[in-house]
Amino acid sequence: MKIGLEIHVQLPTRSKLFCGCSTAGETPNSSVCPTCLGLPGSRPFLNRQALEMGVLIAKFLNCKIADRVWFARKTYFYPDLPKNFQITQYDSPLGTDGHFTVGGRSIGIWRVHIEEDPGRIRRVGRSGEEVALVDYDRSGIPLVEIVTAPDMSSPAEARDFLTDLIIELRRLIGVTGEEQTMRVDANISVGEERVEIKNITGMRNVEKGLKSEVNRQTKMLAAGKRIVRETRHFDEERGVTMPGREKEFEEDYGYIGEPDLGTYRIGPLAASMAIPETPLVRAARLSKEWRMGDQAARQIVLTDWALADMFEILAAKVGGEAAMSWTMGPLSSSWKDLRGRLLDLKGGIVDIVVSVASGEMTDSEGRMRISALSSGKEAEAPGENEGDLDAIIVQLVDEHPEVVKDYQGNERAANFLIGQVMKAMRGKYSSKVVAERMKKELEKRV
Amino acid sequence: MTTFPTADQLRSIDERHQVFCERLEDPLALDQGTFHFSAKDNLCSRGFQARAGSRILKGYRPPFDATPIRKLRESGGLLLGKTNMDEFGFGTFSTNSGFGVPRNPFDPERSCGGSSGGAAAAASLIPQHVALGVSTGGSISCPAAFCGVIGLTPTYGRVSRWGLIDYGNSLDKVGLLTRTARDLERYLPVISGPDPKDPTSLTQPVLDMRGEVETVAVPDEALVGLSPEVAASFREALKELERNGVKVREVKMPSLRYAIPAYYILATSEASTNLARYCGMRFGAMNQEFDQGFNDFFAQTRSEDFGPEAKRRILLGTFSRMVGFRNRYYMKALQVRQLIIREYRRVFDSCDAVLTPTMPFVAPRFDEIARMRPLEMYQADFLTVPPNLAGMPHLSLPCGYSHGMPVGMQAVTPQWTEGSLVGLARFWEEEFHYRFPEVMV
Repeated sequence: MKIGLEIHVQLPTRSKLFCGCSTAGETPNSSVCPTCLGLPGSRPFLNRQALEMGVLIAKFLNCKIADRVWFARKTYFYPDLPKNFQITQYDSPLGTDGHFTVGGRSIGIWRVHIEEDPGRIRRVGRSGEEVALVDYDRSGIPLVEIVTAPDMSSPAEARDFLTDLIIELRRLIGVTGEEQTMRVDANISVGEERVEIKNITGMRNVEKGLKSEVNRQTKMLAAGKRIVRETRHFDEERGVTMPGREKEFEEDYGYIGEPDLGTYRIGPLAASMAIPETPLVRAARLSKEWRMGDQAARQIVLTDWALADMFEILAAKVGGEAAMSWTMGPLSSSWKDLRGRLLDLKGGIVDIVVSVASGEMTDSEGRMRISALSSGKEAEAPGENEGDLDAIIVQLVDEHPEVVKDYQGNERAANFLIGQVMKAMRGKYSSKVVAERMKKELEKRV
Repeated sequence: MTTFPTADQLRSIDERHQVFCERLEDPLALDQGTFHFSAKDNLCSRGFQARAGSRILKGYRPPFDATPIRKLRESGGLLLGKTNMDEFGFGTFSTNSGFGVPRNPFDPERSCGGSSGGAAAAASLIPQHVALGVSTGGSISCPAAFCGVIGLTPTYGRVSRWGLIDYGNSLDKVGLLTRTARDLERYLPVISGPDPKDPTSLTQPVLDMRGEVETVAVPDEALVGLSPEVAASFREALKELERNGVKVREVKMPSLRYAIPAYYILATSEASTNLARYCGMRFGAMNQEFDQGFNDFFAQTRSEDFGPEAKRRILLGTFSRMVGFRNRYYMKALQVRQLIIREYRRVFDSCDAVLTPTMPFVAPRFDEIARMRPLEMYQADFLTVPPNLAGMPHLSLPCGYSHGMPVGMQAVTPQWTEGSLVGLARFWEEEFHYRFPEVMV
């Protein structure tokens, strides 16, 4: 089974791809201008930020970046396409021949390019009296299109691919990560012939649509029927794919260069771009650097970027294993409260964890203190209660003369009393401190 | 069915005529640094319809001003009105308009030329008037020659195209038609300059209005296929130039003969995409059945409201872009365009300008035009198309009169040297006596 995806993701720019209109229209047709309405005499001017985001994505996906790119007109008639052509990139995508790793498998990326979205049609009214309303707020919204090789071998893998991709893009360029920001055309062949499922919204639906298509194709092949090459649609409500309405022919979009926009030299731009570390890349690094499981590393990073920062600070001081158990334990359980005041609390957290690691503080003491930090109350300082500790030690030593006697021959006899103290103090003091005090007291009696 | 204008309509036409005359005759207004201008109907402007000569845009009022119109208005210009043209610029004689045919001021039985025919007529008829024209393949030069005025087509990218209803975006240029060099000198700087709304205008160098033409090249290829009267006037003009110390050189520019096919492929390829938006969704009459598939609805609107020449060019352009033909036509035409640019550059190594007649004949009569086949009409542009393909600035000047009809000559200079052309116009005006038609009121 081979699956390839064509993924459209909305780029999170504030203005549209070819005009200054806001990408956040509130009511229908509230964010439109001559350019995105395709009025005669208007023309496009490129949003540089969108171009940069596109290049960054292409570079992140390990693509070969074109030195120069230009735009093309893709002509077809559709009621929500204001100019009846779409400005896209045809013979000069931003990047080609890249790859993206999912679950240890490398998936080929054929091309990455940017293009404008058309408008949106909404059908309203009772069946038979339907009218179609057109909202041009989406017209000109910048999209990046990522086309993969048919390298995925199951619907689940396709879903994992999309999940991981959106995780990375969220950090890389700030896509919102909501299901709606992604529209997918999925190509799937179970036998020889390829079927395309058009325009699926959201990752869950991609998996569902592909599964239903696998079922359909497998059944047909089992029954000895031939699979026709065609375009299908995924009916979300019924969970099945349906044949597309358009007749089957190789569409001819009559591409020509977009003459109003020039050529853009992106080679140097791409070369000067630094790719920030993305979550899954960071998780992979953490798991390698601190020898921890992939899942654990992924969980830390995906919980919160700042939590992973905290982990790295702690790991540098106390090692990966201890840092991991503190991060995933006490820190993440009170993370909601800690996060907001992290700047003030960071030093305190590090001190506590380091104290525990060095044995100066017991584990439970450390946990208690962190929970105190999160609730905003400082735990009592150990120094104030030293009187209590000494009193208990004195009392216990008095009660157990036989231990004092044994101690003369064997220092380990003290361990019994140390255990008693620890129990009485409920782990408030580290064993090291208790041992020192105990030793001092016993020495006095010898 | 013929419809006759109602009394109200007649009254409103009369009122418009009155206002027009009053504005023209108001010397006070012109003294105060104000001036009047007209704009070709494919330039958008608030307060006027912009129909680009097409019925499909009937009633369309743009919500914004084209940049050249805005700039003229801001410098004191009063927009008198919009001038008639071939539908979307498709034509050489202004006979393809959806709204009547403008007539030549020198002879009403003859064409104004196209596609900026109305603009040339206005410039020819109204003293101190500046007419905004648009050229894709010669639509300023041709009518300027036929109507006996000066027509300047600037370098591609010199004047912003924001607000210009597109024909072939990589070729379209806004320019000026006037009676005098002084008006070119005055208004070219006003409409020129970078405009963030037109990316192709952004990389232009500063407009330098100085410059002269001392040596002109005359390509052999330009002298075949001329009518005897045009050939004679042009020869006479060359002699006049030489008498004034201008050196004239004969050169060969063999690639010029590929300009026409390359132009028609590129221009129509772009045009066919530009015109796709006129489908009855927001432009064009919506009197069809709504109860049909959108493709049928669009096809019906387009069949009814586009003129025959528009349909011809849409078909030609669509064909050239299709898979299987794209490489043979569209891509090949792009290569020819580069060839022509190189050929001009080679000639400019030793000459300041390339000089040819503008049109191979004087303004033809409408009955002659009616007998011409489309290919013959396209061929008439063989001298105006090359500089347009190359994006080079060019100027058409009256250079003689044959049986009362003006003959034009055309000078082409290197990119961004509009100043040399204005210099040439100034110099020629001193040597040559222009005639303008008398208008009886």
